[in-house]
Amino acid sequence: MAAALLEQVINGAMTGSVYVLVALGMVLIYGVMHVLNFAHGVLFMLGGYLCHFFLTRLTGNYALAVLLTMAALAVVGAMLERGVFRPLQGNLRNQVIASLGLILALENLAVALWGPNALQIKVPATERLVALGELRFPLQHLLIIGVTAAVVAAMFVFLKWSKFGTALRATSQDRNAARVVGIPVERMDVASFALGTALAALGGALVGPLFLVFPQMGDAPMVKGLAGILLGGMGSVPGAVVGGLIIGIAESVSTLFLPTDYRDSVAFAIMVLILLARPRGLFGVRARGEP
Amino acid sequence: MKRLVALAALVAALYAVPALATPYLLHVMVLSCLYAIPAVGLNLMLGYTGLVSLGHIAFAGIGAYVAAWLMVDARLGFWSALAIAVAASGLAGALIGAICLRFRSHFFMIVTLAFGLMLYSVMNNWDDVTRGAAGFPGIPRAPGFTTLESFYRLALSGALLAFAIQWRVVRSDFGRILLALRQDERLALAKGVNAALCKTAVFALGSALAGLGGVLLVSFLRVAAPASFTLAESINAVLVVIVGGAGSLAGPALGALLFVALPEYLRVAAEWRLVAFGVLLVLITLFAPRGLAGLIAEGWRRVARRSQ
Amino acid sequence: MLMRLVILLAACIAATAAAQDKVAVGIVTSLTGPMAPPGKFQMNGFNLAAEEINGAGGITVGGRKYMVDLKVYDTRANPAEGASAMQRLATVDKVPVVLGELHSGVAGAEAPVAQDYGVPLILTVPTGPNLTEQGNRFLFRVNASNDQLNLALVDFIQKQGWAPLSFIAWNNDAGRGGVNGMKKLLGDAKTGYVGYFNVGEVDFSSHVSNIRASNARAVMLFMDEEPGSLAIKQLRDAGLKTQLIGTLAMGSDRFLKRLDADRLAGMVQYNAFPPNADTPRIRSFSERYKKKFGEEAHGFAAQSYDGLMMAAAAMQKAGTVSDGKKLRDALAGLEHDGVIGRIRFDAKGQANPPVYVTQWCANGMRRILYPESLKADCGAG
Repeated sequence: MAAALLEQVINGAMTGSVYVLVALGMVLIYGVMHVLNFAHGVLFMLGGYLCHFFLTRLTGNYALAVLLTMAALAVVGAMLERGVFRPLQGNLRNQVIASLGLILALENLAVALWGPNALQIKVPATERLVALGELRFPLQHLLIIGVTAAVVAAMFVFLKWSKFGTALRATSQDRNAARVVGIPVERMDVASFALGTALAALGGALVGPLFLVFPQMGDAPMVKGLAGILLGGMGSVPGAVVGGLIIGIAESVSTLFLPTDYRDSVAFAIMVLILLARPRGLFGVRARGEP
Repeated sequence: MKRLVALAALVAALYAVPALATPYLLHVMVLSCLYAIPAVGLNLMLGYTGLVSLGHIAFAGIGAYVAAWLMVDARLGFWSALAIAVAASGLAGALIGAICLRFRSHFFMIVTLAFGLMLYSVMNNWDDVTRGAAGFPGIPRAPGFTTLESFYRLALSGALLAFAIQWRVVRSDFGRILLALRQDERLALAKGVNAALCKTAVFALGSALAGLGGVLLVSFLRVAAPASFTLAESINAVLVVIVGGAGSLAGPALGALLFVALPEYLRVAAEWRLVAFGVLLVLITLFAPRGLAGLIAEGWRRVARRSQ
Repeated sequence: MLMRLVILLAACIAATAAAQDKVAVGIVTSLTGPMAPPGKFQMNGFNLAAEEINGAGGITVGGRKYMVDLKVYDTRANPAEGASAMQRLATVDKVPVVLGELHSGVAGAEAPVAQDYGVPLILTVPTGPNLTEQGNRFLFRVNASNDQLNLALVDFIQKQGWAPLSFIAWNNDAGRGGVNGMKKLLGDAKTGYVGYFNVGEVDFSSHVSNIRASNARAVMLFMDEEPGSLAIKQLRDAGLKTQLIGTLAMGSDRFLKRLDADRLAGMVQYNAFPPNADTPRIRSFSERYKKKFGEEAHGFAAQSYDGLMMAAAAMQKAGTVSDGKKLRDALAGLEHDGVIGRIRFDAKGQANPPVYVTQWCANGMRRILYPESLKADCGAG
């Protein structure tokens, strides 16, 4: 029983890593701009498609394709911020509608351009199997965990110790005070969106070889990532990490003793229960001006 | 007075539609009415009270499946099943609403989304009662309203009832309290309003209306399937309310008409149509935030100004 | 003078246009959304049949020849859209027959409308058993229902002694219907873990771990080829050597390309028709399909092809391209030699096509294991 449990915890950590990647991007954008970008899932999906495109058309090098994808989507993110989300700041309802509009437009654009069938990103180097004791995992899976861990660490360092990161944190804590001390708040907005989108793109590009690239691939990770952020606390980066992992692990472990068709519900039920106990999430911080 | 006469004329014209319309047009009108009913409920919640629920249609599903089970398995008559189902959705709304309302803005939205997904799971997985994913066929049309023409009149009556309820609520003190809660909850609280009770009440009312829409929908289609009550449908409902004009009396009608009628008549290259739709939504939020009703009101005002 | 020439020209054009009589045939399917990939196979079948019928001059009724014109509507797995499409086909496009649909719930909304307007609806993919239990005389189904598929499969599985059987299944009508049917027939003693997943989910790691822990003798995969390829990859990568059983989607060369023969070797799947079987009707269809679409035929395409061919045959038999009721009567009594076998609708409108079980050989070919009478070796499956 213990072995089965451990195995599921590791499985959950792997699926949770994908949720964490998505959640990190969303929490960055939310923290700085207070915008909840539901369209994050389709950006993740576009990351997968663009990686496939760059890999097959431009370069045979996977790592390079991933970097190109991140750069391309960072630009897209900046454009979205300028064109759509900046004008809608403060209006939660319209942000949601605009995000939904983006989802519709981008998901169907992917279908129109690439067709409804799933694509495969073949990266032979990462298809090897790695043995951990009795269990075997594909290298790509471990790569996802490793890269996610590296990204999380890098983000911590960046936010805590770099000037730019500190400016981002300041903007998220109090926009007006940040402006007073001379931080270019609008530039922070663009940067956070670009960075957040790049993270989503990274997620899609990493997940592509292990699974498949298809138009709906971002839907579930987005919703689960969202649950993770809520659970962890809306503006909190450590919260996003912990939340994403908890959701992933809870889902996997639940299959040991609950009917598997309710696996999704488990994640949400846990989210609701934790929120009822701690309404701001595990690491949530009360923002200035909130009742 | 003039407005009342115009309204009466409109209603009379609507009832007379079957005499002039083709069966297909009637079908589209029925669906528009049936989508408008939950939209009215959501308008009260979202438009007037500011509660953005992303799980609204799950309550339509509750009404639908309760009625389906009562009519087919328990062999109850249509009207009793309808009454019980609407009460059940209202009750579910009160209970689930009470939980969701402990959260605000983004949190509230996502918790409602979560509940919507959980309810969908039940509809999809509980094979013994709901017949699961393959759907629950064999649901009868309301007795006396079995033809398309007669069902249209039933659907229209349901929609008019929903709008009448909306109008009554908006005009009442309760309605003013809801508006106050949307605009500045702290001030309302300071004036002694029991925010929690009022918000729960509107959530329950909205859910009951959704349930009414759900029962009529599955009676019309003669099948209840989880595919009718997905997250996508809940999101659709939000779009219907917002594009139609949230917080306006006619908004749900305009939105429902647009969302049902337009796709039916624009059956071209499917993906590109949806891409255009998505772009349109983004443009609406940027340039026409008060939705269709707002645009029409603005147009009206310009015409009035010019004629002076 | 010019005027007269123009009038003459116009008359000629009108005359030739009149000679090209058309009969509109309604199709309902999923062109967009997550069910678009299987929808494409369905459309391929219809398109191939329409092309062949028209290539041969069309349907001959009452001394005139009618070209088949497909009126396709995307129902996007939504029951309300299905009802609307059916309504439009019956009253605006005024088609004499409608075919297709992928999703059982949507078919449940289309069938009553078909009955209302007396337009026969011929299903070619949905497997929900209760569809044909509603007493709807205008509903027909060419493909096997879940009950029929499961009966055949259970027969085969029991002969092999593969128990306990665990499952990984789509949490939709096809997956759940399949699992429920198998559990009912095999009984609790012989069935084990059931791992459901949502359409669009791709990570089966938790299911894989549980299946390994349950020591299942065989795993049945109720899903289409895209998630199927991932599930099998993950099962094999985890070191599981259990017997794999798949759906008809996992019996094609296209599926083979997604994985490789190593991982698939030994896997069995039920099949509406094995593309390389030696029977002439199957081989001929596979060749024609490959020529037009450049890939191996899919069971859904074969079922849909047969459906349209039957509709055409019924129109000829009934002597009408517009009377739905006469068409329905013709269909009810029709016996048709289709690609998938001899098709004849029973009193409930359900056909009883043969269900095959094929198996992947190590060299990437297939063999037929069931029915016993149609057994064939590697390369002929």
